[in-house]
Amino acid sequence: MKKVLTAVVVFFVLGMGSLFAGGGDEAGRSSDGRVAGPITVLTNRTDLVDTLFADYARRFNQIYPDVQVNFEAMTDYSGIVKIRMNTKDYGDVLLIPDGVTPPQLGDFFEPLGPTAEMAKKYLMPTEQAYQGTTYGIPVSVNANGIVYNKRIFREAGITELPNTPEGFLEALEAIKANTDAIPYYTNYASGWALTQWEAHRSSVAGDPDFVNSLAHTDAPFAPGEPHYIVYKLMYDIVARGLAEADPTTTDWESSKARLGNGEIATMVLGSWAIPQIQALADDPSDVGYMPFPYNNNGIVSAASGGDYKLAVNIHSKNKPAALAWLYWFVEESGFAKETGGIPPVVGGEVPESLQAFADLGVNFVSNNPAPAGEEGWVDEIDREGEIGLWEPNFKARIIEAAFGARNETFDQIMADLNEDWKAARAVVTP
Amino acid sequence: MVRNAVYRKSRVASISQGDSTAYLIRGLSYALLIMAAFAALLPIVVVLFASLKTPAEYAQSGALVLPQNWLNLENYRRAFTEGNMLLGFLNTGITMAISLFGAVVLGAMAAYVLSRFAFPGKRLVLMLFLFATLVPGVTTQVATFKIVNALGLYNTRMAGILLFMGTDIISIYIFLQFLDSLPVSLDESAMLEGASYLTIFRRIIMPLLKPAITTVLIIKGVGVYNNFYTPFLYMPKPSLHMVSTALFKFQGPYGSQWEVISAAVIIATIPTLLIFITLQKYIYNGFTQGAIK
Amino acid sequence: MKPIKREVPMLGTASYKVQRRILIGTFLLAPLALLFVFTLLPVLNMFYYSLLEWKGLGDNTRFVGLGNYSRIFSNPEYFSVLTVSLYYLLGTFLQLALALFFATLISYGVRFREFFKGVMFFPFLMNGVAIGFIFLYFYRPDGTLDSFLRLIGAGDAVRYWLRNPGLINISLAATSVWRYMGFNFVIFLGAIQSIPGEIYDAAAIDGANKWQQFLYIIYPSIKRIVQLNLILAINGAISVFEIPYIMTGGNNGSRTFVIQTVETAFKYNKFGLASAMAVVLFFIVLLVTGMQNLFFKKEDQ
Repeated sequence: MKKVLTAVVVFFVLGMGSLFAGGGDEAGRSSDGRVAGPITVLTNRTDLVDTLFADYARRFNQIYPDVQVNFEAMTDYSGIVKIRMNTKDYGDVLLIPDGVTPPQLGDFFEPLGPTAEMAKKYLMPTEQAYQGTTYGIPVSVNANGIVYNKRIFREAGITELPNTPEGFLEALEAIKANTDAIPYYTNYASGWALTQWEAHRSSVAGDPDFVNSLAHTDAPFAPGEPHYIVYKLMYDIVARGLAEADPTTTDWESSKARLGNGEIATMVLGSWAIPQIQALADDPSDVGYMPFPYNNNGIVSAASGGDYKLAVNIHSKNKPAALAWLYWFVEESGFAKETGGIPPVVGGEVPESLQAFADLGVNFVSNNPAPAGEEGWVDEIDREGEIGLWEPNFKARIIEAAFGARNETFDQIMADLNEDWKAARAVVTP
Repeated sequence: MVRNAVYRKSRVASISQGDSTAYLIRGLSYALLIMAAFAALLPIVVVLFASLKTPAEYAQSGALVLPQNWLNLENYRRAFTEGNMLLGFLNTGITMAISLFGAVVLGAMAAYVLSRFAFPGKRLVLMLFLFATLVPGVTTQVATFKIVNALGLYNTRMAGILLFMGTDIISIYIFLQFLDSLPVSLDESAMLEGASYLTIFRRIIMPLLKPAITTVLIIKGVGVYNNFYTPFLYMPKPSLHMVSTALFKFQGPYGSQWEVISAAVIIATIPTLLIFITLQKYIYNGFTQGAIK
Repeated sequence: MKPIKREVPMLGTASYKVQRRILIGTFLLAPLALLFVFTLLPVLNMFYYSLLEWKGLGDNTRFVGLGNYSRIFSNPEYFSVLTVSLYYLLGTFLQLALALFFATLISYGVRFREFFKGVMFFPFLMNGVAIGFIFLYFYRPDGTLDSFLRLIGAGDAVRYWLRNPGLINISLAATSVWRYMGFNFVIFLGAIQSIPGEIYDAAAIDGANKWQQFLYIIYPSIKRIVQLNLILAINGAISVFEIPYIMTGGNNGSRTFVIQTVETAFKYNKFGLASAMAVVLFFIVLLVTGMQNLFFKKEDQ
């Protein structure tokens, strides 16, 4: 399929070739018809660009010796790339930044193929798709859960992993009473770590259509709703004094080592964090991964979803090489495995760290695409109402209320969010 | 040199008063200065400690805990090689040299005209420069980016150079302050000898402006040197990386290696410090009128 | 501003006139061109964006006229963050006072002058991100500050410096003072040092004491630079961004107007609304600057 697709695209680009000044040598192919020329790859991994990625480029060149791969790595990836996307110059291969709406995908990115076709080969082809066309493939697929220290759980006398919020709070109480560990570490100061909670709306709902249903409700934060359940747990952990003493000065980098050596017992994080924490642990087998503590009639679910999606710039002057890199990266590079995720290809190997989930019989939930005509509604309501489902803002507010820095209750915050949601929904949906 | 005479005189004057309050004030002054120095240094010393710790040591020890091995230069090695700081210094050097030279010349030219001539719209020009500083730069990024791109400067060294070269109100004011203290009789006597304004500017004003130029260089230089947003946004090509971007090599989306960043901060600060120490006597030398007498 | 009194040279008067015109044109051309292209033009664009509904991507804009403005002004929440600036404003006054005090002190001559000057200026040389991280270390429980307080026996004064909503902005403003005080100090010192020595000589002969020297010689000569620094510092206080953004992300009641603007643009993709906020901020700053200018003018009279 891939080869056919590449051939089609190559043919197409050659047909267009005359539009690009400079001709065949610098872009497209060398004189003997091989994929050739320079490409620029944008990445958010500033930390890996000179090591792992340089190695990837070398391996890629064993297959495509005539392509020169240049990387541009940036922190604050989405913010910077979004500014750059106001011009044509945003690399040849890039991760689709946050905030591109489905109808806009075709303006900026090369179509990769019909979603139905892509689904036979790749995971999550619907996450960056519009009207049956896929524009990006995830670099990795992550599961969501809670990283915990097994030794501390044993020392606290916890024998069964809790599967209710109340049970989880009791476990934390036991940790507080029987060990020296900080029961839960919020990582509030980092900001982004708080957004790791948002995925668990699907863990609680256990329903792949739940997120799409948000476009049809005026009160997603009402008591009993998944969002309420998820964030109530966050609030209770802090309000009951089960988190670190001062959330405002948390340090993510050292928290990884501290969870590994048992100074911290639990953190809500995606599966990508597991290898990083294991690498810093005194004993890597102490690092465990548990699903979000909630069950529907005994069935525990874990939200899973694609990381950033890799895509090709529609203005790229070297699409054959860009596409070659994209497919090689998602199929051959081993990036997902390296970063603790599931490879984005059908039938990829589930990493060891997630084997525990499989053993527990956890039901993996990944979101279905929005029904035709409703693409991007939820994101649009979120944006219009300045809710920030994937932003740290209201989570920080919940934690501040929990440690007493705000004079508002949890229910007031939820009511406030509902009000904003309702108003925005009235604007966005017909 | 004249100034030193003043110090001597005034010191003699105050001691000859011979009362204990003078000593008290003197003691108090030193106490305050020492406190200020301590407050300035304490937070920085912590960075030095952090830069000498191993990752494990950093993760597990407090800020004020001394590093176990004062010769652990591993973080420095990593910061320098992985952060590609040699290239960073090279690029920063080139960009700074050109943009600062331009900024000083343009700033001095503008200040000379504004200080020596009366012309309609003079206040407006000053207002425009002030106006420019009133807009927080963060808020106009998208518009600026479009302009840089339209000029074909995106991902070129020129983008940084031109963005840094713009004259700011602070430089103009420092020059103005200085020009105002240069007596107009200097210009006038040169004019009597038939020198053109351009000659006056080049031969008389510019050399005398030296201390002000140094001050402007330091202030603007620090701004350019520590600015990371501009190279990030406008010059993402690895071959154009600057020193400030090296810090971010160790800050990924999933973590920051603070001990290496600390080392990078120290490395990045050393040249600044050296230059500052070398030049500071020029900054403060003040203006001697020996040349005129 | 002392225009040259044109009564000295008899020679080449006309040619000097022509020269002057040419010089004014050429010497201002490049600085103004740069200013226009890279500063004023983006600002004008910002004004234009503020009349649109725009997601910051692509060209699907919708003209909404003053809609963004009415949204801002009908929602007082957008302005509540301005109270945070008051902390920085007070910090600013402290910063300028300290800078002026130390600059004067050092200009009178003390031992180890070079050392003190260098050390006080040093924070200004540091990178903003590094400063953010240094001070997170400084304020965290059992961090630099707490350890130091316990060391000098003031353990009772230990607080949650950033967790306590009453202290967070004071802590952040103090960081800002630490960072910029040296800058104002050097500027003031440079200005003081450029006062010709004879004036002091004359004053010394007249038997003026230090305080009188400061009041009648130093202050009047550096008044303009003090005023400018005051204007810049106050405007800086209104548009605080970097330190709270790096250290607390604007959480726990430390959100400033510029952080709010940046979030509106980049988190919620409302570039039109964010531009309108930036315009509002701009007018606030303009108003404050105008008021200060009037105040200084009055003072001069």
